[in-house]
Amino acid sequence: MNSIRHAFFLGLILVAAGSAIVLVKISSLGYPVAPGVMTSIWEFEIYLDFEGRDEPARIETYLPAGDVSRTFPQEQYYNGPFGLSLATEAQSRNRKAIWTYRYPSNRKVLRYTALTAGETLSTPLPSSFRQAEPAEIEFEEDPIRRQAFIVWSGDLRRRSADDRSYIDLGIAEVFKPRDQDELYADELAVLLGGKSTMDRLQLAVYMLRSKGVPARIANGVYLSDSRRRVDLRHWLEYHMDGEDFRYFPDGEPARFFTIWYGAQDLVSASGVDDLDIQIALRQRSNSAVDLVRQRGGDALGGLERVFSFSNLPLTTRLVYEVLITIPVGITILVFLRQFVGVKTLGTFMPVLIGIAFRETALLNGLLLFSTLIALGLALRFYLERLQLLLVPRLAVVVIFIVMLMAGITIALTNSNQAVGLSISLFPIVILTMTIERMSIVWEESSASEAIRQGVGSLGVAAITYLAMTNDYVEYWMYQFPELLLVLMGLCILMGRYTGLRLTELWRFRELAKS
Amino acid sequence: MLKMLQTLRKNGVIGINERNVNYVNPNNPRKLLRLVDDKLETKRLAQAAMIPSPELYGVVRDARDMKGLPDLLAREDGFVIKPAQGSQGKGIIVIESPLRGGWRMASGRRITMETVRFQINNILSGMYSLGGQPDVAMIEYRVKFDDIFGKISFKGVPDIRVIVLRGLPVFAMLRLPTAESDGKANLHRGGVGVGIDIATGLTSRAMQHDQLIELHPDTAHALDNVQTPYWDDILLMAARSYDVTGLGYIGVDVVLDRDLGPLLLELNGRPGISIQIANRRGMRSILQQADELSRTKHAAAKRVELAKELAGGAPASAASDRAAPQEQNAAAAP
Repeated sequence: MNSIRHAFFLGLILVAAGSAIVLVKISSLGYPVAPGVMTSIWEFEIYLDFEGRDEPARIETYLPAGDVSRTFPQEQYYNGPFGLSLATEAQSRNRKAIWTYRYPSNRKVLRYTALTAGETLSTPLPSSFRQAEPAEIEFEEDPIRRQAFIVWSGDLRRRSADDRSYIDLGIAEVFKPRDQDELYADELAVLLGGKSTMDRLQLAVYMLRSKGVPARIANGVYLSDSRRRVDLRHWLEYHMDGEDFRYFPDGEPARFFTIWYGAQDLVSASGVDDLDIQIALRQRSNSAVDLVRQRGGDALGGLERVFSFSNLPLTTRLVYEVLITIPVGITILVFLRQFVGVKTLGTFMPVLIGIAFRETALLNGLLLFSTLIALGLALRFYLERLQLLLVPRLAVVVIFIVMLMAGITIALTNSNQAVGLSISLFPIVILTMTIERMSIVWEESSASEAIRQGVGSLGVAAITYLAMTNDYVEYWMYQFPELLLVLMGLCILMGRYTGLRLTELWRFRELAKS
Repeated sequence: MLKMLQTLRKNGVIGINERNVNYVNPNNPRKLLRLVDDKLETKRLAQAAMIPSPELYGVVRDARDMKGLPDLLAREDGFVIKPAQGSQGKGIIVIESPLRGGWRMASGRRITMETVRFQINNILSGMYSLGGQPDVAMIEYRVKFDDIFGKISFKGVPDIRVIVLRGLPVFAMLRLPTAESDGKANLHRGGVGVGIDIATGLTSRAMQHDQLIELHPDTAHALDNVQTPYWDDILLMAARSYDVTGLGYIGVDVVLDRDLGPLLLELNGRPGISIQIANRRGMRSILQQADELSRTKHAAAKRVELAKELAGGAPASAASDRAAPQEQNAAAAP
């Protein structure tokens, strides 16, 4: 009986301690209790990791451009042992970080982070660019391309009224989606070469400059989503008749963040292998929290260092943002099992499935999961006839699941459904084990029992998914990680619950008739 | 719903949570549970303590043992193949007699050597064991069940489950296979559970799928007021199982063999709680009283006496249902 008291007090202490820290943070330090709406600050990170070759290494990276008028505080560099020098290219005014080291060996990481509010379409282009004399760029020596350009521009000229319509028409033709076998304007086909966005942008810049219009290629990211690997975007900027123009081949973003200008790559490296470039973005959940941080100073410093993720690299932080909601799902699962008595396949399987739903969204996830399980079960019952041994049989099911997922992905991508790509991370092994468990329950108990447990698992997965992706849950768990203590305490308390489960009321209904 | 909860609480019905927290966890240390999770180990312990159990014909541990399989299985009167670490009757095959190069299973279907090998391979690879670790297959004597329950069971072997709290047999239930349960005496597969009065060995109420029934669903025979033979022996076996294993809260499964009498089939370290429905009473008050009684050490025979007294003084809530069979029994007892 002593252990009851022990567990009870430990649980209460954990809940009390966690709640107390939360209360202090809210009342004394002024943490906001709800995720705010003023979410205009973005954390930006360039994360490079690579394998040193034990020879002099030089890594050059463009940094966010300095000549754009935008909010751009708090730059930080994480150099490790590398030497860092900063440079600005004279003509393009690109800023560059140059990291160097004599003999790097094994895996190294370099990082650059900054906070930004980004730019919008109304952000003016810098006056240095507006007034710049368009540099006379030499077109290729290639006489065929030169000839093609002359023919094309002559054609454009004929079909336009003035410079403005000439340029509009030209840009429209350069970026017009073209089929492989489209015959019109072969000159353009010659000029576009590889037909990549970069080729088109370069041609557009050349066309603009040939008309005396200042133009350049800008490279950066769209501020739309907190993600660990953000795609780089390229667009066109030009200034004509006193007006700024931007043309976005990938579609216009509400907010974007310019990093560098020109057709060069973001990173150039020598003396290293296996370079991986990650660009991460994270929307600050509430800029009020930043204010709290700045205000708190030293008093807050100690607490922050222990209980906050804000000092971790951005890429790691985005992972933690997901990880830290998992205990919420787990606690809900404990409740559903101990108090309600829901039967599930495997202990924590439903929570894992719930995490997988993150990739697919709920409805698609449920559909995909049910489909894959049903097909997998069919295969599993067929394999039963072949009388295979356990491990090879599981392997066959795994391979089958991968095949199904590949098939579904291709089918959905062909029909332009975005879900197609997102299932690629759907956990294969979890699916396989679910199928195996379900088929054993199916055989050993009954089909109805197997389906009941399958539906139970999916139901619990859906509930945990909704809880784990809830805005308030995400915000609270991320800003108040001490809530983990509360969850742990709750689980300890539930671990000593000896009352009847909700489903047991039904089970013992015969005994409830007094 | 709240009313249901109140009534259940008044009747002392315990749920899985309470069973685990108050009885299984404190009484069954994890390292001892191994003794009952592994049926081979249980059998060794039983044999050492002279508790009768079905004779072990052989054990298949690996591919090498498989070669001797045909010799091992050449038995006219059948045999049982079971995973040593299986639970809830999973993976058990009951073979009745040879049939056209294969065998006849208890369910009446034919099974070939090939399927038997496959099944044993499944057992070895851990398909039926807890946590899926590799297992061994046991081949043992097929129980010829006593005709006393012949009328009220359908295909397969009925068994008697006795719940033993620190050596005191507190609750008992007869488990009968049905057509639905495919000859297996497992309640969750549709087997019938019939409460047995600990004091007398007389059957009382019966249940299937958590609901009370009067007649066997297949044979339509009345299930109450059947005297369990060898009742005292069974109780004594159950009580001694505690001394053998040291586990304080177990379900002891006993079968009655026509020739050999009661045999210990297996022990269960996490016995189910449906037995409350079959006996139409909650377990809490009896368990608590037994807990008190077990503070002082007694010999197995004495514990059986104590348990019988405990069952005789049944609480009021269940008394009305139990009055009739008890009186009859008093008259019938020698």
